[in-house]
Amino acid sequence: MLQLIADGLVVGSVIALGAVGLTLTYSILRFANFGQGEFMTWGAYLAVSALAVVLAATGAGVMEPLGPFSFGWQLIVAMILAAALTAVLALLVDWLLFRRLRRGNAITLVIASFGAALALRNLVQFLYGTLPEYYTREIQIAIRLVPRDVLGGLRITPDQMLVIGLTLVLMLALQGLLTRTTLGRAMRATAQNPALARVAGVDVEGVIRATWVIGAALAAVAGVLAGVVGQVRPGLGFELLLPLFAAAILGGIGSVRGAVVGGYIVGLAESLSVPLVGAEYRAATAFVVLIGILLLRPTGLFGERA
Amino acid sequence: MELLPVLNYLAFFLVFAGIFAVMALGLNLQWGFCGLFNVGVAGFVAVGAYASALLTGPPEPERFGGFGLPVAVGWLGAMGFSGLAALVVGLAALRLREDYLAITTFGIAVVIQLVALNAQALTGGPFGIQSIPKPFADALGTGLGWNLAYLGLVLAVLGLAWWALERLVASPWGRVLRAIREDELAAASLGKRASAFRLQSFVIGCMLMGLAGAMYAHFVGYIAPEDFLPVLTFQIWAMLIVGGSGRNAGAVLGAVLVWAIWSAAGTLIREALPAAEQARGAALQVVLIGVLIAAILVLRPRGVLGERATVSRHAG
Amino acid sequence: MTPALELDAIEGGYEPGLPILRGASVSVAPGEIVALLGPNGAGKSTLVKAAAGLVPIWSGRVRLAGRDITGLPAHRMVHEGLGFVPQTENVFANLSVLENLQLAAALIARQRRGSLEKMFSLFPDLDRQRKLPAGRLSGGQRQMLAVARALVASPSVLMLDEPSAGLSPKLVGVVFERLRAVRDTGVTILLVEQNVKAALALADRAVVLVEGRERLEGAARDLADDPRMAALYLGHAA
Repeated sequence: MLQLIADGLVVGSVIALGAVGLTLTYSILRFANFGQGEFMTWGAYLAVSALAVVLAATGAGVMEPLGPFSFGWQLIVAMILAAALTAVLALLVDWLLFRRLRRGNAITLVIASFGAALALRNLVQFLYGTLPEYYTREIQIAIRLVPRDVLGGLRITPDQMLVIGLTLVLMLALQGLLTRTTLGRAMRATAQNPALARVAGVDVEGVIRATWVIGAALAAVAGVLAGVVGQVRPGLGFELLLPLFAAAILGGIGSVRGAVVGGYIVGLAESLSVPLVGAEYRAATAFVVLIGILLLRPTGLFGERA
Repeated sequence: MELLPVLNYLAFFLVFAGIFAVMALGLNLQWGFCGLFNVGVAGFVAVGAYASALLTGPPEPERFGGFGLPVAVGWLGAMGFSGLAALVVGLAALRLREDYLAITTFGIAVVIQLVALNAQALTGGPFGIQSIPKPFADALGTGLGWNLAYLGLVLAVLGLAWWALERLVASPWGRVLRAIREDELAAASLGKRASAFRLQSFVIGCMLMGLAGAMYAHFVGYIAPEDFLPVLTFQIWAMLIVGGSGRNAGAVLGAVLVWAIWSAAGTLIREALPAAEQARGAALQVVLIGVLIAAILVLRPRGVLGERATVSRHAG
Repeated sequence: MTPALELDAIEGGYEPGLPILRGASVSVAPGEIVALLGPNGAGKSTLVKAAAGLVPIWSGRVRLAGRDITGLPAHRMVHEGLGFVPQTENVFANLSVLENLQLAAALIARQRRGSLEKMFSLFPDLDRQRKLPAGRLSGGQRQMLAVARALVASPSVLMLDEPSAGLSPKLVGVVFERLRAVRDTGVTILLVEQNVKAALALADRAVVLVEGRERLEGAARDLADDPRMAALYLGHAA
C-alpha cells in the first residue's frame, strides 16, 4: 500500500510538471494543446544529446554519480540545456503555426496542435530511432524507509525522492512568479481578459512567448525526470498526454495549484488501480478520472471559469 | 507493363480510398456541419471493425465471439456498437466546452486501443483477429474479380452514405444543425434541443466510422490493434482539411488526395531508404502529412474545394 | 492650438466590408471633457475602441497632441499617453485591488508612472479594499478602480466607454464628480455615453455620432435644449 502511494507520487510529479504547462497555455492561449506531451519527449531526448555533448566536451567518458544519485552533474547541465532548447522549439512552433491561426477559431488551433504533435513525435522517432535510451546504466539501491511488516513496507530510490522534491520546489517557484512578479500578474491578467490586458499596457504577444517558454521548459524537465526514473522512449510524452489533460481539468483550467494537485491525484489513482485492474489498464485510469470530473464538476477543483 | 497488377493495385487503392472517404464523411458530419471536434476517429473505427469481425467470424475456442453471422449483420452491428460508444462519450462531453469533446474522444480512443491490445479473450490481443470472412469470396475467389466486386460494394456504400447525408443536411434537421453552428444565438435559444441535435450528429458520424472499420476488416481479412493507432485519426483529419470541410465532395476528394499522397510518400521512402532505415522512414511519412495539415491550415484554411460557410463569423 | 486628441476621418470595423465607422472625426482640446453621444449602433464605442487600438482602422488618422499614433498595438497606446476604460469587465476580477493597480504601474515607464498612494487618495473607497479581489467590489467601486487603473499610467487623454452603465443615478453622480476631479488634475477626457443628460451636465462639449459619422457638435450647454438632438436620436435626418 505505502509502496503504491510512493510510486504514485513519483508518477504524479511528472504528470504535475507537464500539466502545469498545459494549464498555463490552455488559459492564456485559450486552446487545448495536444503537443504538450511531445515537449516532454523532446526535452528527454534533447537531454540525451546534450548529455553526450557535455560528456564529450569535458572529456569524461562516463558520468561520475553525484552523491546517492544515479547520475552526475553533467545530467543537470544537460537538463537545463534541454529545457532551454525545448523552449526554443515551442517558440518556433508557435511562430510557424499557432501565431498565424490565433485570430481564427480556437478549435483550429487544437487541430493544428494535434498535427504538430504527431509530426513532432515522429520526427523524434526518425532522428533517434525507436529503441529506448538511458541517461545512465548505474543501478541504484533503493532505501528501505518503512519495514515490510508495516502496510507492506516502503522502498524508494534517491532518484525518486529527488523527482518529488524538485517538482515541489519548481511549483513553489512558479507560484511565486505568478503572484509576486509583474510577468506573473500580466499572465494572470491575460488569462482572464486579453482585451483588457492590452489596454492596461500588457504586451500580450510577449506574455504568450513567456508562457510557451515556461510551459515547455517545465515539460522538458518532466521528460528528463521521467527518463531518470524510467526510460527515454518516443512514446514517453504521448502516453502521458491523457493523464496531463485529466490533471489539468481536474485541477481547473488555469490553476497552477490545481494542476499540481490534479497531477498527484491522477498519479495516485493510476498507481492504486494497478492491483485492481492490472498494470496493462493503468493508462485507462486517467480516462475514468477525466470522465468523472467532467460529469461531476467540469470547472475542476480550483477552477474559476467553466 | 502488365495490365493485371496495375488494375489490381488500382482496385486496392480505390477500395481504401472509398473506406477512408466513408470515415471522412462521418467526420464531416461532425466537424463540417456541427463543429464537433472528434480526435477519437481511430477508436470508433476499431469498435466497428472488431464488432463485425466478432459477429461474422468463425468460432474460436480461445476467444469470445465468432458467431458466423452474415456479413450484412456484422456491418449493422458495427454501426450499432460504434454508435453506442459515441452515445456514451457524447453524453459525458457534449454539453461542455467544445475542446473537452476533443480531449474525451482522444481518451476513449486510448482506452479502446488498450482494450484491443490487452483483452485477449475478446480481441485476440496484439495478434488481433484472423480469418474474417470475405463476402462473395466463395463465388469469386480472392483475385482481381473479388477486388473489383468489393470495390463496387464499397462505392455503393459510399454513394448511399453520401446520398443519405445530402438528404439529411437538406432536411429541417440539417438546417437546424447549420443554424446551431453558425449562430450562437440560435444555439442558445434552442437550449437543450441544440445539444440533442449535436449528440445525434455525433452518433451518426461515429456510426459511419464504425461501418468503414467493418468494411476495412472484411477487405483485409485480419485486424490488429496497430491498425487503429492515432495516426489513422490524423489521416482522416488531413483528408477533411485538405478537401475542405463542410461539403461532402470535399471530404471524398480529400480522402482520395491524401491517400494518394500518403501512398506515394510511402513508396518513395521505401525506394529511397535502405532496409535498415525503413522503420525510421515510416515516421517521416507521418511528419510529411503533419506538415501538410499545418500548411493547409495556415495557407488555405478552407481546403482545396473550400467551405460553403466559414466555421465562425466571429473571431474567437 | 494642437488638439490633445484628434480622430481624423476614421473608417473601420471588425470585419472587412462591414464598416461601422464611416469617416468619423472628433477633436478634443487639452483639458476639455467631450461627450460622444448618439443612438444605439451609431459606432460610439467602436470609435473609442478603434482609437485605443482594439478595432482595425482602415483609413483615417489618430493623433495624440499632434503625434500620429494610428495603428499602434493597444498596449503601446498606453505608453504614448492614451488611456482607455472599457465599458464592461474593466477590472481583473481575480486580481486584488492593489494587484490591479500594481500591474498597471509596473508596465509603464518609471517617469510616467503615477503614485499608487495618489490614486488611493483620489479614490478613498479603494484604499479600504486593497486586498479584496476586484471581482467582489460593488459596481461603483469597480468603475472607480477601472478609472484608477487607467490613471496610474498618467495618460494625457483618457477615453471612457459608458462609465455610467449599470450604475444607480446616485452612483453616476459620484463617478462623474470624480471624473471632473480627474480633469482638474490636467487630464483631457473623451467619454462615450448613453446617459445624455448626465453626460451633458459633465461635459464641456459634445459630438453626436450617427451611422459612423459625426452629425452634430456643440457646447454641452447648448445641445441640451437643441431640438436636432431629439431628431437624431429618433432616427430622422437633422
